[in-house]
Amino acid sequence: MSMAATYRLGTRLFWRDKSMVFASVITPVGLAVGMPALMRNVTSDGAAAATHIFQGTLALLLAITAFMNVAVALAGRRDQLILKRLRATRLTDAQILTGQIAGTATQAVAMIVLCTLAVHLVADVPLPANPLAFATVTIAGSAVLSLLGAAYTAAIPRAELAAAFTTPVFLVAGVSAGAMGSIPLPSWLRPVLDLLPTTAVVDAVRTGDLVVPLLVLAGWTLAGLAAIRLWFRWEPRRS
Amino acid sequence: MTAIDVTGLSKSHQGFPAVKDVSFEVAEGTIFALLGRNGAGKTTTVEVLAGFQRADGGTVRVLGLDPWAERAAARRRVGIMLQEAGFFPDLTVARTVDTWRDFTAAPRPRDEALELAGLAGRSATKVRQLSGGEKRRLDLALALLGRPDVLFLDEPTAGMDPEARATTWEVVRDLAGQGTTVLLTTHYLEEAQRLASALAIMDRGEIVASGGMAETLAARSGRVAFRMPARVRPADLPLPVTLEGGSAVCRAEDPDLAAQTLLSWAASRGVRLSGLEVRTATLEDLFLDLSRSAR
Repeated sequence: MSMAATYRLGTRLFWRDKSMVFASVITPVGLAVGMPALMRNVTSDGAAAATHIFQGTLALLLAITAFMNVAVALAGRRDQLILKRLRATRLTDAQILTGQIAGTATQAVAMIVLCTLAVHLVADVPLPANPLAFATVTIAGSAVLSLLGAAYTAAIPRAELAAAFTTPVFLVAGVSAGAMGSIPLPSWLRPVLDLLPTTAVVDAVRTGDLVVPLLVLAGWTLAGLAAIRLWFRWEPRRS
Repeated sequence: MTAIDVTGLSKSHQGFPAVKDVSFEVAEGTIFALLGRNGAGKTTTVEVLAGFQRADGGTVRVLGLDPWAERAAARRRVGIMLQEAGFFPDLTVARTVDTWRDFTAAPRPRDEALELAGLAGRSATKVRQLSGGEKRRLDLALALLGRPDVLFLDEPTAGMDPEARATTWEVVRDLAGQGTTVLLTTHYLEEAQRLASALAIMDRGEIVASGGMAETLAARSGRVAFRMPARVRPADLPLPVTLEGGSAVCRAEDPDLAAQTLLSWAASRGVRLSGLEVRTATLEDLFLDLSRSAR
């Protein structure tokens, strides 16, 4: 019951915050729909190029709608001492964080579904051949990226720096998944980038193979949980 | 029955000892005031009692529960009004209370909580539009939602106007009358003296005075003050005085008797003691005495 309450609260606050909605919905949806639509019309292999770029932009959607959103929200609530106030209730720490993470993950899944339908309509990107596998990996990816965003707040010294601190994650996720076109990378870097959770989701969507991506996501889940346990801060730094 | 039991509590922050070997008990259904200057260790003590911080040493029990190790169980029976905590600024007062009711088992109805805190007329107002004192009242409403057995109030009336402060005192008194144990920290010594039946004064992390309010004050000197008459030297007076500004101040265990002695002396010499003020010891006197002796 209490976790459902924190889930509802996080969701309600997100949709009430117009600037948050603009930054975290309009921008990624614009990228994930606009770039495939552009590719569809300016490249010779049309729908195939649009499909490839859309699959890459899933990494951007996850980086913004899941990772950045939860990091910005939690860093802000930490610094405004709202997390501290929530801890004064009977909610456990796990309920507070799980409610927030689940709310953000739901928004990310909704964005991905919306964009998948939109690019099908405007850029002829085919719908997922295996909807169940697509749903599994996008839900798992959204949950893991939201968890990692919560853990990452420990590295954000002040709430006003949250966007600056999360931007590199967005860039690395996009470059790794090919969402920003084909960027030449050193050969040694590719295997490292393949281990990113965003790349794992994109690989699963492109290949249909779930085993390795889900193992990668499981590893990141353990790392995120351990990081939260060790370093998550409920209050701003005093010094 | 003891509701709060603190024995040998120690807590350091980055090597700095914020609380050192602090012990006190709070009886069920009483109001206990924890006083001290800024940085004395009051808030750290309350945060350990409320389960926000883990004690480095000693034992702490609230209703028999370890507030850190058994936080979930303790929180069901405890209400906390923090000195510093944020709200969601874009929610209205009513929505804030409704949200917190979702986090509370068997909560008070929203209107009852707002009525108790004196915010019934502000339910449609956004939190960002509330004054500092009104935010404290909202804080109180949230702390009271779960009908707590123990209530921690950290500076509950800071920023309130006199009327709101008096209303809050009434609420706190009523709650204690119904059996709620209240631990209060405040900078307003009058507030502590009016509300609390027992107190502890902290300085530099240690308790420097404690006990029942009435007994503690009875053990302190009262004071008789008057304007020093012209052509009278302190040495002429029948009792020792100190000069504070233009006034002579005589400290005495029985200030009534001291006043009679001084007035008899003045009458026998045809001297008028104007601006005469006689009062028993106040918490402020005690607090200032302790502060002076600590320097």
